[in-house]
Formats: sequence, C-alpha cells, structure tokens
Amino acid sequence: MNNLHKDSLDIEKAAPILTVDNLTVDFTTDKGTIRAIDGISFEVMPGETLAIVGESGCGKSVSSLSIMGLVPSPPGNIVDGSIKFNNRELIGLSEKEYRKVRGNDISMIFQEPMTALNPVLKISTQMVDVIRLHNKVSKSQAKERAIKMLETVGIPSPESRIHEYPHQLSGGMRQRVMIAMALSCGPDLLLADEPTTALDVTIQAQVMSEMVRLQKQLGMAVVLVTHDLGVVAESCQRVVVMYCGQIIEQAPVNDIFANPKHPYTQGLLKSIPVVRERKISRLPTIDGVVPDLLDLPSGCRFTDRCQFSEDRCRTNRPQLSGTSTHQVACFNPIGGM
Amino acid sequence: MSDILLEVKGLKKHFVVGKNFLKRHRSVCKAVDDVSFTIKKGKTLGLVGESGCGKSTLGRCVLRLHDITDGEVSFDGVNLFNLAPKELKELRRDIQIIFQDPFASLSPRMTIHDILREPLDVNKIGTVNEREAKIAEVMKIVGLRPQVLNRYPHEFSGGQRQRVGIARALVLEPKFIVADEPVSALDVSVQAQVLNLIADLQEKKGISFLFIAHDLAVVQHICDDVGVMYLGRMVEKAPAETLYKNPKHPYTRALLSAIPVPDPTYKSDKIQLQGDVPSPLSPPSGCTFRTRCPEATERCKEEVPMTHDVGVDGEEHLVACHLYR
Repeated sequence: MNNLHKDSLDIEKAAPILTVDNLTVDFTTDKGTIRAIDGISFEVMPGETLAIVGESGCGKSVSSLSIMGLVPSPPGNIVDGSIKFNNRELIGLSEKEYRKVRGNDISMIFQEPMTALNPVLKISTQMVDVIRLHNKVSKSQAKERAIKMLETVGIPSPESRIHEYPHQLSGGMRQRVMIAMALSCGPDLLLADEPTTALDVTIQAQVMSEMVRLQKQLGMAVVLVTHDLGVVAESCQRVVVMYCGQIIEQAPVNDIFANPKHPYTQGLLKSIPVVRERKISRLPTIDGVVPDLLDLPSGCRFTDRCQFSEDRCRTNRPQLSGTSTHQVACFNPIGGM
Repeated sequence: MSDILLEVKGLKKHFVVGKNFLKRHRSVCKAVDDVSFTIKKGKTLGLVGESGCGKSTLGRCVLRLHDITDGEVSFDGVNLFNLAPKELKELRRDIQIIFQDPFASLSPRMTIHDILREPLDVNKIGTVNEREAKIAEVMKIVGLRPQVLNRYPHEFSGGQRQRVGIARALVLEPKFIVADEPVSALDVSVQAQVLNLIADLQEKKGISFLFIAHDLAVVQHICDDVGVMYLGRMVEKAPAETLYKNPKHPYTRALLSAIPVPDPTYKSDKIQLQGDVPSPLSPPSGCTFRTRCPEATERCKEEVPMTHDVGVDGEEHLVACHLYR
C-alpha cells in the first residue's frame, strides 16, 4: 500500500500535474467536420478535484478521452494543442508508451460500469491483469493487492466477491470495482467520466462520498466530468464550465455557485432540480436549444439563447478573461468582472 | 358523477422467473405487491423509487400493457381487466403513455408527421383534413415548428424528441397520461422546459398524470400527491407539500437527503443508506426496507408493517412503517 501514498507528500508544490493547452479535436462525419473541442486550456493541481461541467455534446467527455489518448482515430483527430502530464507531452506518444501511462499515472472510470468491465472475466482476473501490467509482482501478490483495493472502496467480503463476474454485482458495486481497478496502481490523476450518472440517488451518495474519501486518503488529483452541478458542489474545488466545445467560465467552486459570471452558468445553476420550500409555478429554464456543431454562430456560441445578447456578441467571439482564479468568456459578465 | 378517474385496488404483479421445463425451482419476483391508490380528475400522482422498485411495472399495469396477478384497476368506473379487446381499444384512446427514452420510443423509419398521424388513423378519427389540423394543433402545443413535420427522429435533440413523444400522446386528446420517467434522459436545462410543458398541459387541458420518476426533486413541481415505492410496495403516500415538509418513512427521508445540494457552503447531515436494494427475488422478511433502515428493530424482521393513515386535519398521509403504530 505504501506506493499508493507516493505523491501525498508533494501536494504542496505549486506546479500543475496536468496542463492542457489550446486542445482542439475534430471529428469527421458524413455531413462534414465537427470541431468537438475548440481550443480549451486548463490546469489540474496535484491533489485537487476539478469538475468539467456541461450538457450533452459540449465536449466534456472528449476532453477526458483526449487526455487518456482514447479518442478514436478516425473519425477523431487532435488537430492542435498540447497535453502535458508532469511536464511530459502526451500527444504524439506511441500506443506502447501510452499504455504505460494509462492505469499507472492516469486512470479513468466510465459512466456505465457494465460496459467498461469485461463480462466474461472474473473480477480477480481483470484486476490482476491491470496490476501485473504495471508492476513486477506475482499473481498471488497481485491478487492480495486487488482484495485490499476492493476493501478500500467499501466492498463487503472482498475475498469472495473477487471471484464473481460483473453481472453478479449490482450497479453500485460494479462502479466500486471500477474505482478499485482504476486506483490499484496508485495513479496521480483519476479521470471520472460521469461516474454516478447511471446509479440511483442513494447509491450515488455512497459512491461519491467513497470517492471523496479515497481522494483525500490517497492524495491524487481527480477530474470529475459531469452534468450534475449538485454533485460538483459537494465534492469539487474548482469548476470548468463548457459550452459547445469551448470553456466559457472557470472558477473555484464557491465563486461559481455564489457569483456565476456567464449567463449560461447562471442558467444551468437555476435549472438544477432541487426540493424547494414551496412549489413554484414555473421552473426556470434556458430558452432554446444547443446549436448544431455543424452550424455554429460566428460570435459567442450562446448568443441565441442569451437574454443579454447584443450586436457584438453575434459577430465577435469573447475570449476567456478575468482574475487569476475566476475567468469568463463573455462581453457582459453578470455583475461585471 | 364521481371525481375519481383512476382507482387501483390491491394491485399485484408477480413475474415467474427461472422456470425450468419440469416447472420446478420456480421463483417469483413480486414486482408490484398490493398497491392501492386513486387519482382524481385533473390531478397528478408522482411515483418515486429506485431502479427495480416496480414503479414502471405499475405504470404499465395501469395501461394493461401487462396482465396482473391480482387486484383491480378501474378507469372512469370501468374495470380495465374485464374489457373485451374491442372495448379496450376504445378506452385506450383516453389513456396514453410517454416513455423514458426518447431515442428508443420513436420509430426511426417514420417522419414526425407519420408518427403523429398513426394514432389518428388507427382509431379512425375525423376526416383527413381534421387529422392534419389536429397534428398542427398538437405541434403548436408542444412547441415544435410545423416545418419539422417531414423530418425523422434522428434529426432531433433529446428534448425535441421528448416533445414529439408528448405530442403523440396528446393527439388522441386523452384524459390520462402515464409519464414513465419522461425527463430522466434529458439535460437539466431541457428537463425544466419539458416539466413546464407538462405543467401547462395539466392546467390548460385538465389532463391527469401518473408521473413516474426516480428523483424526488423533479416530481415536486408537477404533482399533487406523491407516492414512494420500495421493492414493490408503496411505503408512503401523501399530498406533495406534506411529504416534502414532513416525510415520515425512513426511506423517504433518506431519498430526500440523498439529493445533492447545489451549494458548496451547505454542510449536509446526510442520512446515508448502507448497502444495496435487496434482490426482489428474495426480499427480506418483515419490512423489506429493514436491511438498510437506520431505525430497524426486531419487530421489523418479523412483521410486515401495515399501511396507516398518520395525516392531520383530514389529510391522507399513508405510511407503512412500525415507527408509527
């Protein structure tokens, strides 16, 4: 277990563990080329939890897949930008080199644990494979470590559970197995792509609190990709909001919720379903729909749905600007900058 | 005339699973076990629970899409399960359903126009012109432009497809709609749009809904009454406002507290349930919730809790828990 803690000592150092700079990803489709991600830049500090938030099709999942080098090519194509992990450029790595990074330095958990686990292999086989790929240990040592990891993520009687197949486990248990597998080699960075979306609320609460606890215990950095701002408020330190492939706002979690600058962020926050003191007659919404990625407005991409939209919003694209902690891409940020 | 539109009495739906050819080793999954409720004209009942609690099965039984094991479902005073096929077909005009997945519930080979036209053709309603007028009318109600009539479902976003699903349910002018998780597959900003649309339909058309969801927060705005289900049983049912203010059953309380609060400064004292929902094939003895209940006692192991009315001021607040008797 010692090497699980290998990086908890140097959390203090200020250099980011992951730096994404001007990342641009295109997808070729029958109807033309779609720019799924359009020049996004962000950093992840060691030990912090960063949330990437946005609605379907905003590019949040493609961002995490790009970091893992899992964007299918074709049709996907990283056309520009760089992804640096601990100052090492990941774009352009050969498949062989990337395999050393995946699981060992950066791990990922997916939304649907049933499709991410191999249905015909026992949990033990799948976990031992991962551990032995990155560590020179015997099968029995690897198994011992796998059992320990299952125990860490809160699976009852892991010694017997490890011999089961994925279909014998419930959804919440499967997601715990995914987390155990992702953490079994002590990664410095965990990418969690909607880890609780497929789970029931009571199970979601269990899995999220487990993730927060593990993150503190193991001191790794987490990038949580989600559409659920409620989950973000309870578990993240910093938030990146994406819309149509671009980052439109990023800030510490308290700032985003107390003081959202972008009209889209504000709209998203208002439309979260919450239990209110009393029933209200109309739920707040964001009018209109997300524009087609094949036919994007030339200026700000939110302009057609924005109540503060003016002429320059339609012709010019606002750039991210603001303070060192809170940036927004809007000409009329709410409450000024 | 009574103002009760739908009455469900002692409804049971048991599925036999794992039947081998000698009919041995059969096990029974009690998907819905002794559930009763009524829905008044123009009112909406919300049905909430986790996956596998039987809420969708219940919704389908109400439409007679499943046969039932025991009990009674009457719609407007007529027992649905006594009807001949022809009578049932006629009655089904009044009862429609909106499905959860707007991607799977619309035929990919039919245009929006054909999808909306089919129910009218099947039921031979009006002349051709009247049918077209009806289609135009429902398109307007759900907020879709008439230009999109000749498009196919794949050309639409999830929210728009759900609007088509709602339009299809509306085209026969039903009195009652079963909405089976209509917003679960949608993004938050679109969720609110669809919920507002349903609220409009309640108000302007006086349609009653059975609204099935797994999320108590979603249900609050559009339901008059809310029922909470766990492993096939209704564990609590009350007027919406009462249920949210004063939840009685430990499961309802846990469900309410599990909703993430979108406020990073909020320090929650969450009731976190341990473990998973038990398999409906071998539910625990006594109260089925006892294995996860923070307040469980010996009595819960032995005795199935009966449903009691704990409401005040003549309000009906039903709860099935030993804590209250």
